[in-house]
Amino acid sequence: MDIVEEAVFNFQQQTWHLSAGKALYWAEEKALILSDLHLGKSAHFRKAGIAVPTGIIEEDLYRLQQLITRYHPEQIIVVGDLFHSSANNEVQYFRLWRQQFAHIRFILVKGNHDILDASLYDSLQINVQDTLILRNIHFMHEPCEDKENGHYTFSGHLHPGVIIAGGGRQHLRLPCFYFGKHCGILPAFGRFTGLAMLKPDTGEPVFAIANKSIFQVQ
Amino acid sequence: MTEGWKVITDWLAAKELQPFAFQEAAWRAYQEGRSGLVNAPTGYGKTFSLFLGVVIDWIDRHPRDYRRQTKNGLQLLWITPLRALAKDIGRAMEEVLQELDIPWKVGIRSGDTPTAVRQQQKKQMPEIMIITPESIHVLLAQKDYARVFSGLHTIVADEWHELLGSKRGVMVELAMSRLKGLARKEGRPPLRIWGISATIGNLDEALEVLLGRPNPEAVIIRAQLKKQIALESVLPDEIEKYPWAGHLGTRMLPKALPIILESRTTLIFTNTRSQSEIWYQEILRQCPDLAGAIALHHGSIDMELRTWVEESLHTGVLKAVVCTASLDLGVDFRPVDTVIQVGSPKGVARFLQRAGRSGHQPGAMSRIYFLPTHSLELVEAAALKAALHEELVESRMPVLLAYDVLLQYLMTLGVSDGFYADEVLEEISGTFCYADITAEDWQWILSFLTTGGEALQSYDEFRKLEREGDLYICRSRMIAMRHRLHIGVIVSDAMLKVKFMSGGYIGMIEEWFVARLQPGDTFNTGGYILEFVMIKDMTVLVRRSKAKRGIVPSWGGGRMPLSANLGKILRHTFNEALSGTSREPELLILRPLFDLQKELSHIPSEDELLIEKIETEDGHHLFVYPFEGRLVHEVMAALLAYRISQRTPITFSIAMTDYGFELLSDQPIPVDPTNVQELFTTENLTVELQASVNSTEMARRKFRDIAVIAGLVFQGYPGKHKTSRHLQSSASLLFNVFKDYDAHNLLLRQAFNEAFFYQMEEARLREAMERIYNSRIVITDPHRLTPFCFPIKVDSLREQLTSERLEDRIKKMLKHQ
Repeated sequence: MDIVEEAVFNFQQQTWHLSAGKALYWAEEKALILSDLHLGKSAHFRKAGIAVPTGIIEEDLYRLQQLITRYHPEQIIVVGDLFHSSANNEVQYFRLWRQQFAHIRFILVKGNHDILDASLYDSLQINVQDTLILRNIHFMHEPCEDKENGHYTFSGHLHPGVIIAGGGRQHLRLPCFYFGKHCGILPAFGRFTGLAMLKPDTGEPVFAIANKSIFQVQ
Repeated sequence: MTEGWKVITDWLAAKELQPFAFQEAAWRAYQEGRSGLVNAPTGYGKTFSLFLGVVIDWIDRHPRDYRRQTKNGLQLLWITPLRALAKDIGRAMEEVLQELDIPWKVGIRSGDTPTAVRQQQKKQMPEIMIITPESIHVLLAQKDYARVFSGLHTIVADEWHELLGSKRGVMVELAMSRLKGLARKEGRPPLRIWGISATIGNLDEALEVLLGRPNPEAVIIRAQLKKQIALESVLPDEIEKYPWAGHLGTRMLPKALPIILESRTTLIFTNTRSQSEIWYQEILRQCPDLAGAIALHHGSIDMELRTWVEESLHTGVLKAVVCTASLDLGVDFRPVDTVIQVGSPKGVARFLQRAGRSGHQPGAMSRIYFLPTHSLELVEAAALKAALHEELVESRMPVLLAYDVLLQYLMTLGVSDGFYADEVLEEISGTFCYADITAEDWQWILSFLTTGGEALQSYDEFRKLEREGDLYICRSRMIAMRHRLHIGVIVSDAMLKVKFMSGGYIGMIEEWFVARLQPGDTFNTGGYILEFVMIKDMTVLVRRSKAKRGIVPSWGGGRMPLSANLGKILRHTFNEALSGTSREPELLILRPLFDLQKELSHIPSEDELLIEKIETEDGHHLFVYPFEGRLVHEVMAALLAYRISQRTPITFSIAMTDYGFELLSDQPIPVDPTNVQELFTTENLTVELQASVNSTEMARRKFRDIAVIAGLVFQGYPGKHKTSRHLQSSASLLFNVFKDYDAHNLLLRQAFNEAFFYQMEEARLREAMERIYNSRIVITDPHRLTPFCFPIKVDSLREQLTSERLEDRIKKMLKHQ
């Protein structure tokens, strides 16, 4: 297995392993947390006549598999947009994949793209929630401005990226984990997703992902 | 003399007119059934050289009843690049037909044609259809389209020089290949194909592209009419105080105002829409008396307003119009007697065209003023003069193997009646663009449309075209509908409408610009200063602002590269200026600037290449001055950066202008007299060029248009915002996944080719590299920025190239912060 670098981050009195594999592991809850996989996106495009190459979903799920074997989580929390759109053959591919990890609890905090029938989620052994609170952490797909229910929130949705500038007018755009005052935003897990650049305030922790490494950039 | 010829010459004689020699030559060639190209300047009746030929031919064929025959079906397809032109040409034709008492109908077909008119045309086609390239393809996307063209015998491509060298020209090539194929299939005589072109460097090639295959019968008819052009530069009073860099030129407005006031009507050409907005505001500020007598004309302004401006130009009620390329083409505005070009026009042909907008009558003198936006641009004015003097006009390179346009075209045929692969392959192989398409490419194209690529997987659900025996056809109504909405090759940023809160449409604006605005911010558009209120239903709602100034959106499309011809003349002019031999006022006034350049650094002679190494707070700069034009510099800079980066891990940001280019790094750049020459070797050139272009963003940028044209990215349509659920993606994202998962994709290859081969021939770069390799290379270390380097340094559009590991770069950057 490739060694994926991680950063251990103590935040909100909890221990977070931020993986360059674009997920984070919550040690106290033994939970692997990720967001915005957009499974089935390439198939959705192909069905509409847009010839996106195949093989993207296989790679995404292989990476998730590597994270599972590394952290041995008891539960996986997806903070929205697990699937991209209506059911297609890539959803069936996920079904086969899911069977290897039948013992792991799969919780989906519903995102704007998660529009499958409830029965389909049941058959995939996915527990769907609108929002979720575990210990002192609140999970919700779309980021919020204020404290929700008095808890710190983890979100996705934005596909956050950060610009790092250096000497000689250089700059880089990288996917990132961002921890704002009330809300932390997870990078998009899926490969077939874009980046939306954030402008973090000073003092807000940001971890950028570069290939297989992760850096705290502020 | 035939009957038709007599009717026309009599009619002209009655108006005391006589045909020009070139018009008669065109009529004769047309009568003989030939195809060809008419080369004539605007304002000399080029339209009549072909339109009247068709009329003569019609009278000859129906000498007794040509006044009675109605509902004859489509005879003549008149292709025009500009919607705005269609109306005026149609009006002119109708007038003639009416006077001759010929009951032909003239129809117009463009994106603006109302649905009712389209329906009517479908029932009964007019005899003459004036049409844009896009609209022909829209016709080809309709069921049973062959019926529409069953009586067609002539196609004219007007302003062919504008279409040639663009993908819209390829659309014309493809449409003509189908129409010719239909005629062949139905046993009709071959279509007569004609083009009308202004003077360009490669007229013979223009004809060849128009006809697809060499045709010994075809003729080029040249109107031997020379247009008198007077060019004068607007010179700053003190060159020492004129900025070294910049692109607005408004500082020179006080010197331009008298010109405007003394002329009857002036067109002020700027290179970008934002620049035109600023000029408009600034003129009003400095000369409030002109309010109501000046107007603004550019591509993002409401069409109604543009039409009003054009009509007011005709009637002469406007004193001046600030415009962009939007007024480059078109009918004559007779009152216009003066043109001011702000900043470099970046090409002789464009400059001629703009100059020609004044003194539009036959025999009149065209008067054009060149107003520099920074000092060194004056050298360009002198170069333009030289080019005019030597009658050097650039060529338009035809587009080759545009796979994206082909994919779109096949889909167009697929959504109407379907197509047979062998038949269409034969037709397109007869075009200039696709003459060299290989069997493998063709197979790839077909499978891209039917299976979504070669790597077909068992769980795939790809749908676009179905293959039914030999017939390729689209059976999905959704996909067909979406395709019809996206026919065309003009790719623009997502645009939003701008409207007043109280109602009233102002124009269009780029979405990315609006995204940066906060409610309450003020910005300029359409000549107004507006306050942003909110976005609702894809519309930007605004109210009038009392603020003196607003942010000006920097619309794209401003960076036109210097053409190859002008580059060469420019280098020569620079040498003249630097050696002090020239008497041109533009060059004489620059003397103090050159003296300073000499004091700080060096002035290269004709057989020298100057390189300046300068350190500033930005980092370590390497400025190189080959004077070869932006296109060559873009590729040469990438190549040099690549070669240096092979010596040591290093990251560059690259900028260029038409004079030279800059490599900027955060670390010292290992170039010195001992190792500089080998950077320009032509050894390994082809391989290293490929590597260097691939390591920058050049191909990625080209891919953006390709993805849209090939139907991979859906643009919202102005006014018709259709949500295609969950199908949004960016071209850049697609570029990534193609690169990682489908590296052999033809569209990626096209992106690379466009980034490199379209911009220039390798031969030209090789020539430049050899010239430099064999010249004396002078490296200086100025202690501060020089007049030469300044315009390059302030350029913000930059490429990056690196040979460092990503992780190492980040570590360095974090340390830097």
